[in-house]
Amino acid sequence: MNTTRPTIGKYIWGMAASLIIFLAGGWLILAPFALGYQPYGADWVSQTTNSFVTGICVAVVALISFALFFSSLLRSLRVAGVLISPTRPVTQAPAPDQVQATMPLAPVQNQSDLDKTLATLAAALAADLNARRQTGSDQQSDQTQSMVNRSETK
Amino acid sequence: MSTRDAMRRLISPGSYVLFLFFLAGIWLTISPFAMTTQPSGSHWIASTINNVTIGAIMMVVSLLGILGYILFALRDMIRESEAKQADEQQASQLAE
Repeated sequence: MNTTRPTIGKYIWGMAASLIIFLAGGWLILAPFALGYQPYGADWVSQTTNSFVTGICVAVVALISFALFFSSLLRSLRVAGVLISPTRPVTQAPAPDQVQATMPLAPVQNQSDLDKTLATLAAALAADLNARRQTGSDQQSDQTQSMVNRSETK
Repeated sequence: MSTRDAMRRLISPGSYVLFLFFLAGIWLTISPFAMTTQPSGSHWIASTINNVTIGAIMMVVSLLGILGYILFALRDMIRESEAKQADEQQASQLAE
């Protein structure tokens, strides 16, 4: 379903904007010295102070913005199941004949409604299959018992 | 989905920071004139050109970032809604 498909375009867009603004902040820090309107060895003029302070603030906040978009991207990938959540409980691997029966008991926090419906259907089919197997084994044991009884009577 | 949830999905925490950059861009653009480092009536000096250019870039990039995020999030919401409707139609057809 589309609800579990990761869409990372918006996060990449925000991260790219944050990166461009981070570079702009770095340029603002360097500009007074690169463009030469700050005299060498003299006290900083007001343009230099303004550019430097604004550049540092812009660069730091751009990094914070980048981190916010990046954490949103990671959260989206975890919800989609691409990345494994570190807090997710580790479940032991079930026996092969119990795989279908234990499916609904696994943590299904991020499953969609369709996944839950499919899991319930699979569990019902597994229960039905087990019931048929038990019935077949009972009949087989009855037949074996009757054969043993016949041989004893002979 | 309520309007509050939709707004939360359309505007991320990073978008608020990008709006701060938009305000910073406005300040950078007007700062040479507000701080009177640009002489009135004369050609723009190097620091004025630099500040106005970087301020304009920051305003444009931050606005594009905010609008791009909103557009992508809106597209995702529309796709999810369409998929949900398709699932409901499929379920109703199976039930019939």
